[in-house]
Amino acid sequence: MDAVERENADRQKRWAKEQKVGEGTYAVVYRGREVATNRKIAIKKIKVGQFKDGLDMSAIREVKYLRELKHQNVIELLDVFSSKTNLNLVLEFLDSDLEMIIKDRSLVFLPADIKSWMAMTFRGLEFCHRNHILHRDLKPNNLLTAADGQLKLADFGLARDFADPGHKMTCQVITRWYRPPELLLNARYYGSAVDIWSVGCIFAELMLRIPYLAGDSDINQLDTIFRALGTPTEQEWPGHTKLPNWHQPSTTYPKTPLRDLFTAASADALNLLGKCLVYEPRKRISALEALKHPYFFAIPFPSHPSKLPKCAAQVAVRAAEDAEQANIDQNSTGPGVRAAEPGSRKRKLNSPEEFRARSIARRLDFAKQANSP
Amino acid sequence: MSSYGGWLRGKTVKKGAASSSSVNTRSSTPHVQSTSTTIYGGGIKDPSGRVTEYFSMEDQCPVCKSDRYLNPKLRLLVSTCYHKMHVLSILLILMRVLTGVFRCESCIDRLFTLGPAPCPICSKVLRKLAFSPQTFEDLEVEKEVAIRRRLAKEFNKRLEDFDDLRDYNDYLQEVEDIAFNLINNIDVPQTEAKIQAYKAANAALTAANIQREEAYALALKEQEDFDRREREARAAQLVQEQEQERLEREREQNELISKLETSGKDAKKLVAKARLSQQKRQSARASEKSVLSGGMGFGADYAKLLKARTNKAKTSVPDEPHVPLQDDWYGYEDLYVLRPSYDDIFSEAVRKDREGIMRAGGYMVEEAWNRALRSAMAGLELEPLVGLQTEEPPLSAVDAGGDVIMA
Amino acid sequence: MSVDSPSPAPAPPKKPLYEASTQFKHWRYSQESLADVRSKLNEAAVAVIRQTFEAYEPGSSSNVSFLNANEEHLLVTFYVTRITQLCGHFRFPEEVEATAATYLKRFYLKNTVMDWHPKNVMLTALFLATKTTNNPISLEAYTHNIPNTSPSDVLDLEFLIAQSLGFEFAVWHAHRALWGICLTSALQQLPSIPPDYAKSQSSVYDTALNHVRASRLTDAEFLYTPSQIALAAFSLTAPEIAQQWLESKQTLSESSPTKIGSGVLGSIETIKSIIINAGQRPETEAVREVDRRLRLCKNPEKVVGSKAYLARKAEEEKKAEERRSRKVASTGEGVDPFGDELDQPKPSLVDYDDDDDDD
Repeated sequence: MDAVERENADRQKRWAKEQKVGEGTYAVVYRGREVATNRKIAIKKIKVGQFKDGLDMSAIREVKYLRELKHQNVIELLDVFSSKTNLNLVLEFLDSDLEMIIKDRSLVFLPADIKSWMAMTFRGLEFCHRNHILHRDLKPNNLLTAADGQLKLADFGLARDFADPGHKMTCQVITRWYRPPELLLNARYYGSAVDIWSVGCIFAELMLRIPYLAGDSDINQLDTIFRALGTPTEQEWPGHTKLPNWHQPSTTYPKTPLRDLFTAASADALNLLGKCLVYEPRKRISALEALKHPYFFAIPFPSHPSKLPKCAAQVAVRAAEDAEQANIDQNSTGPGVRAAEPGSRKRKLNSPEEFRARSIARRLDFAKQANSP
Repeated sequence: MSSYGGWLRGKTVKKGAASSSSVNTRSSTPHVQSTSTTIYGGGIKDPSGRVTEYFSMEDQCPVCKSDRYLNPKLRLLVSTCYHKMHVLSILLILMRVLTGVFRCESCIDRLFTLGPAPCPICSKVLRKLAFSPQTFEDLEVEKEVAIRRRLAKEFNKRLEDFDDLRDYNDYLQEVEDIAFNLINNIDVPQTEAKIQAYKAANAALTAANIQREEAYALALKEQEDFDRREREARAAQLVQEQEQERLEREREQNELISKLETSGKDAKKLVAKARLSQQKRQSARASEKSVLSGGMGFGADYAKLLKARTNKAKTSVPDEPHVPLQDDWYGYEDLYVLRPSYDDIFSEAVRKDREGIMRAGGYMVEEAWNRALRSAMAGLELEPLVGLQTEEPPLSAVDAGGDVIMA
Repeated sequence: MSVDSPSPAPAPPKKPLYEASTQFKHWRYSQESLADVRSKLNEAAVAVIRQTFEAYEPGSSSNVSFLNANEEHLLVTFYVTRITQLCGHFRFPEEVEATAATYLKRFYLKNTVMDWHPKNVMLTALFLATKTTNNPISLEAYTHNIPNTSPSDVLDLEFLIAQSLGFEFAVWHAHRALWGICLTSALQQLPSIPPDYAKSQSSVYDTALNHVRASRLTDAEFLYTPSQIALAAFSLTAPEIAQQWLESKQTLSESSPTKIGSGVLGSIETIKSIIINAGQRPETEAVREVDRRLRLCKNPEKVVGSKAYLARKAEEEKKAEERRSRKVASTGEGVDPFGDELDQPKPSLVDYDDDDDDD
């Protein structure tokens, strides 16, 4: 035991913890540096021993999968060290996430930007699927962006291996707005197509700048999907009426072409979007096929990552807003590992609510500023 | 030419409306404007009025052989037996009347003014009213479209009205047969009888379907109206806001001026203060707007931002063409072949899947097979380690992947 | 090729996916290094325990007969078989069983049985394995079905085991590779496949699976890869087919980034002999003997209630107290690496900063 402890203590010395940048249900996130190279990192400290069943499943999953995955579009786990009752994950430091970028009104998206982000998302996802891992929590919040523009999949707290034949899986995964219909119908046997649906929703959101299928309850979510994409027929999706949660819908919605809503999108883009949002999961496009879709090869080329729009908002403000977001799932894990430079930029006081949030967030802002709110 | 453009925009014929454009000389592109006062019924009506009449330089009346060169305002109409004839423009008719000279009247007028008469080409009896303007180049197509339109009114069942796909397809086949017969003039009386029989048998269902379609069209229209109204409201609001801003700015200017005049303070300071407060107000309003407008309120700066962004995109690092996979990982894919199905004990449950639940949920047993095949190949080539490893590498050692090398 | 076009830059060498795994990177040994690790661990442990004995009862340690590395190994192997029994009892899937066995074995490459008795470690390792393989069972349901076990028995060790494993929970298993081999071999156009192979396929699989299970009692997984172990198991069952399968794969691999060389055959043979020789359940009598001696040479510090244990606890408590007071004192003092205290501590379940040991 002592040998292991000593080893951990030594390893811990490589990383310098700085300030706290976020807190979640089971973990606290700090910003930090690698002592040797001064590289910026984030340390996610997971408290162990407060759950009656021992080590938390989300923590286990995160560690298990991040340890094995190394890809430029998946967040990198640099190290793991532990003290007596703490598990510390050293992750690369990522500035912001896609959600912040989408919400930032001062940023303009070119079609090439959207194409670039989608390509990176698909690449990261394809790598996960190649390693037989389902992510099961894809949403813009969990797609973090680095300083050089690279997009990375993060938050593997709900991930799991592909199931062996005949094994049931839980259907309470993925945040409601990005959840595919088969999960809303409580399917217990599903596959990698659930992630593709989420990516399709994210694609749509990038084009619309607001969430595409935003239901306000689980029941309403199905209705929202049907309204947007038409009620599926037995022919379109064989067997879906036999899924556990299926009820005869009161209204049958017709299919409206995507073009009606996505007026500015190219035909290629809509084609790919349509293939991601196919009802029958087996017919949904796979990540690898998506990467080979003509949309990506067509003009314009995907933007170079360094040119992608970047958001300047502070994460402290975000943390306060997080609690108010309606779509936070019960299953969602702690905040992702993203932070901004505290206090390095003075942000103009724009709107009243941001001012309020800022005064709360001020508590967490450790750069000593003497100004008054 | 505006008149040319006007034609292209396909103005619909209005009864009694005279030609709005000037008469062109023969050398310019002729245009066909429906100048005739008679509305010719029948044929293919396009309610939105966007479909224009078909015309070409080669048009020639088969009866009197006058063509567009001699008669720029030649208008060829199509009869129900799908033969073309032309009508003279009203101008020439007037001329004729005025000069009292009986020129070549329009063949249609000539032949049919006195009542029904046989078509000079195929001898079928026609009325004047039976003529209509042509929409498609190919008369065959014209005929077919008209027939199908008519049939669609009668035969409007959908998949849901049938018990299974097979029945629906049979029904569709029947309809196609009827259409084919009518188009090619095969067994016309029998086919007509069939249509009548079907009509009688399914009157109720057909009526119900018609109602449903109407309701749907109505709902769609309402939705469109609603959208339009929203858009208009938003635009109006925008205009209003801009107006407000303008007024505010004016007021500020006036205030500033009066202050400069009356007070003794330093002019520069006053101006600066005014500007500051102006800016504050502006940014407050801008963010308010974006917060309130929810969806895509970018405000007036959007165009500017877009321009800035596009410029930036052009000047810095060039975009590279897309490469599907950019990593160097090798997954042993070339060492095995995933076949579409395996007779495999573990996937019994999946194969049985009585209710199709597994399939509907999207479980793909191929993914599990792929994983098994891959793991059968992974690491097969590795030679075992030999000998004592040198002492544990110091903790600061990091392997290629940036991972700490542990014990 | 035209003279004008420049030759394209060589593509970077592809890295095989298996070599990214922690199993390959951190849990791979040679025969020699494995023995070395064990003996060193054992010696160090004996030294420490001897010291502890001496500290509380001078002279007592000379009577104690400490275990050696082989005896430790024997005991661990015995408890691996117990895992199989428990899994049968709970009806856990094969994945859980295999993972738990791996965790247990790996744990004892970092720890000694004299500090931690394999019985408890085994129970906890199994519990942990159910979680990491997504077959979770509630702690209550688990301990309820195991006689003489309380939840805290299992939970206390969980973090320790995870730590010792380096939090590397993902394991590649031989039984899945075996499945892969069986999937393909049935369809291979191999000349010597008997015509009714398909029917006998499931019995071939079963026999081979038993060999894989036997291999879990050995060190095979630390020396060889799961695919090699699976092939060896298959070869023990259907040697000619295995041979042909391997040859066909070797041919295929000639043009791929990883070449399956002729050395593989040698490895397979070695694994086969390992399975045959070492893949048995240890003799019950021998195990009991070791267990008896273990009771006498256990590390007193780890025995709850003993003098040494309580002394250790007190020491730790003191250290924690110091740390806490230091923290309180440091408010307003220069740069505190953990940032300012909140004016009002959030009423959370646990005080996160309680046992920060990064001072």
